[in-house]
Amino acid sequence: MEAAAHVEHHHGPPAPNVSSRVEAQFLGMLLFIISEVMLFGAFFTAYFFIRVVADGGWFPINDVDLPKAIAGVNTAILISSSFTMHWALEGARNENRNALRVGLLTTALLGLTFLTVQVNEYVHIGFAPHDHAQGTIFYGLTGLHGAHVFVGLTLLTFATIRAFRGHFTAKEHRGVEVPGIYWHFVDVMWIFVYSTVYLL
Amino acid sequence: MLNPLRSEQEAFRFLLYVAVVMAVIVGLVFLARAIW
Repeated sequence: MEAAAHVEHHHGPPAPNVSSRVEAQFLGMLLFIISEVMLFGAFFTAYFFIRVVADGGWFPINDVDLPKAIAGVNTAILISSSFTMHWALEGARNENRNALRVGLLTTALLGLTFLTVQVNEYVHIGFAPHDHAQGTIFYGLTGLHGAHVFVGLTLLTFATIRAFRGHFTAKEHRGVEVPGIYWHFVDVMWIFVYSTVYLL
Repeated sequence: MLNPLRSEQEAFRFLLYVAVVMAVIVGLVFLARAIW
């Protein structure tokens, strides 16, 4: 009788298990980034394999070299965007709405500039992915990273719109914090890509 | 211990460490190539 009454009053699914000390959103981002590290690891494995076994060595190939200087400037642009992202988060923590808004907007614009320069690089680089194994892994690694910048930009766009609508406080700003962690991760990956593919 | 997934502040600090470490590694490789 009592059980029947209980069933009658219960609506919807059972309450989620909150026994973990890690918040669900952060646990999700943690598992996601771990899977991303493995994905990039697979591409880097292919890259190092090609560096060792491919005929002709690494670039320059057929007098075509990678645009190290332009990519270096692009690297500076992307690293700068991590500073503006950090500034935006500090703004959120200190209830400085102006810093939050300008920081997020600047980060998104710097990320967009990075992607634009990357696409321009593809247009003028002088080889295609199917020309040789080195070209395949170059487009593979930089393209994989570019796709992640695009995802980061999408997250940043939502965070920026929310910031301009008055969301986020000093206590509740997870909607900026999680994209911020992701953005820094994307920048860390680019440091590895630029150092290994362009410089070394 | 630094955990870049715990907060944005730690992720930012991790990024700075990675940038410095990679700059040192690239510098050492260039130096080694110049010597040998």
